[in-house]
Amino acid sequence: MRIENHPILDFGNRKTIRFYFEGKEIEGLEGDTIASALHANGVKVLGESLFKHRPRGFYCAIGNCSSCLMKVNGKSNVKTCVTMLEEGDKVEIQKDKGGLE
Amino acid sequence: MSYSADVVIIGAGISGCSIAYNLAIKGIRNVIVIDRSYIASGATGRCGAGVRMQWGTKMNCLLAKESIEFYEKANEILEYDRDVTFYQGGYLLLATTEKEISQFKENVKLQNSLGIPSKMVSLKEAKDIVPHLNTDILLGAAFCQKDGFLDPFLTTDAYYKAAKRLGVKFLTYTEVKDIIVNNNKIERVVTDKGDIWTDKVVNAAGGYSKNICDMVGIDIPVYSDRHQILVTEPIEHVQGPMVMSFSMNLYCQQNPKGPFIMGRGDDNEPRDLRITSSWKFLEDMAKTIKNVLPPVANLRVVRQWAGLYNMTPDKQPIYGKVDEVDGLYLAIGYSGHGFMFGPLTGIIIAEMISDAKPTVDVSLLGLNRFKEGNLILEPSVV
Repeated sequence: MRIENHPILDFGNRKTIRFYFEGKEIEGLEGDTIASALHANGVKVLGESLFKHRPRGFYCAIGNCSSCLMKVNGKSNVKTCVTMLEEGDKVEIQKDKGGLE
Repeated sequence: MSYSADVVIIGAGISGCSIAYNLAIKGIRNVIVIDRSYIASGATGRCGAGVRMQWGTKMNCLLAKESIEFYEKANEILEYDRDVTFYQGGYLLLATTEKEISQFKENVKLQNSLGIPSKMVSLKEAKDIVPHLNTDILLGAAFCQKDGFLDPFLTTDAYYKAAKRLGVKFLTYTEVKDIIVNNNKIERVVTDKGDIWTDKVVNAAGGYSKNICDMVGIDIPVYSDRHQILVTEPIEHVQGPMVMSFSMNLYCQQNPKGPFIMGRGDDNEPRDLRITSSWKFLEDMAKTIKNVLPPVANLRVVRQWAGLYNMTPDKQPIYGKVDEVDGLYLAIGYSGHGFMFGPLTGIIIAEMISDAKPTVDVSLLGLNRFKEGNLILEPSVV
């Protein structure tokens, strides 16, 4: 799920970052946002719609649409598409509107 | 176009729609409600959506209590096909000074004597009611569970639909340009869509009430004050009551659907009817909320807006006829609480127009009180 060879851009050798998605340890790369790392791992469903609980995924990728809100390290409503991935992050699908943390 | 009507109501906010409905159920159905924009486009639709019985004057307490008791049954009485979403999570009024504590104690005594179930609460009890409240900055609080939240758009829509079913006409996007008075009697209302011949006009124009009175040459002691509100992203329901502080100039409530609504006014602003939004409000409000309800400050702001408080010198409404012009009725000057008085406003003005016995005696709230200097100042306004 990643572009390995690009005609113009050179991605170079990037460091591996380990993190947890729904309790399972997976890997991303240095420079990933949380959402891009999940996408690279084939994770397409990042959350649910509030009322009808339909699947919601990676959409605007610039922090506007609220489609990628997830629970990260216990904090709800994190915009994963614009939040850089960090070592050991615990990322979970959020099924409610979230709370005050 | 030219119309004629028994009563013309200027303003289709909660007051105008409630007056129209109450006239219609009394059989006065040739009524026209005019608004220069849409239904609830003014102060009603811009308000903080809170309703409370915890007031500091007898009149305000009575008006609020009767109105809230109506709101409890509004869906059934108005036969509304939707839900006005009345939620009685209470109001928690914060005291930060000894003066406020003694004021609240006095208020609670007055409220209890009128059958309002308010009470003083300790800081621990306040923290139990709102767990994320910063009680370090407080001395005490007052609480009333019967206070709460109500959707201003849906509530006005309920009145609007009920009045319309009974034959009331609504002219939206119609602006009143002049009111023609002949021999001290109202003759007609001039609008940008034509004239309406009538001998009775109700001024329910909210923030623009003074402009309407100017048309008939009556100088009223009111001004309009811009108040601003912001709304956050929604989260799970964690805050039952409206949290309010007079000394910190703040009210903050969580809408039952999730977002937090918070607002305030600024006394130092020019009184020029502007309803634009400002950066200063966002900055000031963020600082205050960080101090009072710290975790709420982490939520993102979704949008902000402004509306007008129509202020009177004693912060109580002006109801009733005026001496100078026969046929003019005032339902103005709510000083920021017109929405919560809506049901009683409608009942009272309709009773005045139909010469019926009043449900609540509001003779103390006439325009003449300012000439006579007969003012009882409401101490509890944000």
